[in-house]
Amino acid sequence: MFKENTETTPAVGEASGGQQPAASNQTSAESNSANSGRELSEAAAPAAEHGAPEASSAVRAVAVALAGWVLPGLGHALLKMWGRALAIFLIVGFLVYLGAGMRGNVFEPGGEDAFARLGYIADAGTGSFYFVARALEVEGSDVSHADGDYGTRLLATAGVLNLLAALHAYEAARGRKA
Amino acid sequence: MVPLHFSHFQSLLLFALIISLAFGTLGRRKPIERVKYAAWSFAMFVLVGIALGWLMYPFSR
Repeated sequence: MFKENTETTPAVGEASGGQQPAASNQTSAESNSANSGRELSEAAAPAAEHGAPEASSAVRAVAVALAGWVLPGLGHALLKMWGRALAIFLIVGFLVYLGAGMRGNVFEPGGEDAFARLGYIADAGTGSFYFVARALEVEGSDVSHADGDYGTRLLATAGVLNLLAALHAYEAARGRKA
Repeated sequence: MVPLHFSHFQSLLLFALIISLAFGTLGRRKPIERVKYAAWSFAMFVLVGIALGWLMYPFSR
């Protein structure tokens, strides 16, 4: 779906920041991944002249964001930002595991009040991990204790964090930041 | 799955640690900057959390 990244030049933000060339030699994975976002932005460079490439770039960025939402970290993995992809996958997964282990409330669609509906939106932000949380909570939620209440917050945090990561992947795909 | 039990302070530390790592990963590019930002976020989460706890203490009973 995305072109293989073979460049070794620093990413846009680093180059414009006037850093030493050696400083850009951080981790090869992250460097390559940042270049990937640059490639996508370069692909969109003629956008001012041609509307179609701009639209194509936008569609690609939306696809990256959606992939990142469905499976945490996948959006960054598609951009070859391996370090961030792994970190997001592990962090969101760990938060979901903790939240479900603490018997937090996994909200279902069609809640009876605004809190339940907002909670569902936050929980659904974890994408496929939402179903993992529901599968892990075989005994159901228990918010009569502080653990369950914290678990509810951790699950919501996992969702919001994943949405933030998906937005970050979208911005990186558009070449705006990485 | 085995139920997990944490104290309030353990939950605070765990939350602060995980979110700080996420902020560091997403917010900065260079590894050293990520570590600094994550450490700063972690310290702020813990300090502000404790400060808010003490602020609410007079109204807890």
